[in-house]
Amino acid sequence: MTIIIMILLIVLSLYTLSSRDLLYGVIALSAFSMLSATLFYIFNAPDVAITEAAVGAGVSTVIFAWAIRSTERKDQE
Amino acid sequence: MKESKYSKFFIFQIVLSLATVLAVILPIFLSRVPWPDLARNYLEHNGLRDSGARNLVSAIYLGYRAFDTLGETIVLLVAVSGTISIISHSGLSQAKGFGKGEIKKHTNNSISGFRRTELIDVVTGKLGPIVLIFGLYLMLFGHLSPGGGFQGGVVVASGIVFMALGSKTDSSTWLQETGALAKIEAAGFLFIVLASLSGIPGGFGFFGNPLSSSGASPVISIIVLNTIIGLKVGAGLGFMCIAMLGKVE
Repeated sequence: MTIIIMILLIVLSLYTLSSRDLLYGVIALSAFSMLSATLFYIFNAPDVAITEAAVGAGVSTVIFAWAIRSTERKDQE
Repeated sequence: MKESKYSKFFIFQIVLSLATVLAVILPIFLSRVPWPDLARNYLEHNGLRDSGARNLVSAIYLGYRAFDTLGETIVLLVAVSGTISIISHSGLSQAKGFGKGEIKKHTNNSISGFRRTELIDVVTGKLGPIVLIFGLYLMLFGHLSPGGGFQGGVVVASGIVFMALGSKTDSSTWLQETGALAKIEAAGFLFIVLASLSGIPGGFGFFGNPLSSSGASPVISIIVLNTIIGLKVGAGLGFMCIAMLGKVE
């Protein structure tokens, strides 16, 4: 279980780095936060898991989405 | 010979960053120093008696290490005020109370700058109050169950954003009034400073728990601090997000 989540984390972070559409990257980053929150919960750190889920998947996604809306969505080739 | 897709400099950058990561992480695995357990043992035996909090994490960050929490709240206050000053000077926000943006109200075809769908209206409008209650629960029960002031505050901020997204354009509760949120944030910081000074007259020092020797349970101090910090963080982050979303009254 832990191994699967960690592999998924690496895949998601690589996708976030390489995606040309920034909105896809932000959604992948949000999924990354949810998965790492699950990982924290498995490792008996529920406080950190709550923080990661609320900050990483919630507030920072809103902030990134706002930043993309006010700038350019697609990365220049 | 075929031209490589990535330049040599790009590969060099990747190798360099991987080498740096290894140089940081490898000593942790290679070292033979035994894992430190002094603080852990102390907390296990004395934490509950000293602070009265069953959740030892909140006993640490509001009792033994309250200084760090004060620094954290100051950093958050500076971040929020900096962001809001940049937003309000750029004129990007159309939220009420940000003078420059108000003039170009209703220039876009879509209401308040972004398209509204039935899904957003229904789901966020119904989910907002539930998220708010969950945030309050995390805040008030941080000494017993996982959670605490900061986590609860962030969840409360998410609830405020949900309600701001879900409400109709011509109706808003006082929770979305930027003035009220700013007042809560400022009052929260004032109360944190007052609470940190409250131990000094009894001789417990800065951030000392004034209840630790009286008959009352020392956990009351943690509950009060959790509530104040939660309100402050929730109001600050909610204020910032509403300013970003450009909610038009």
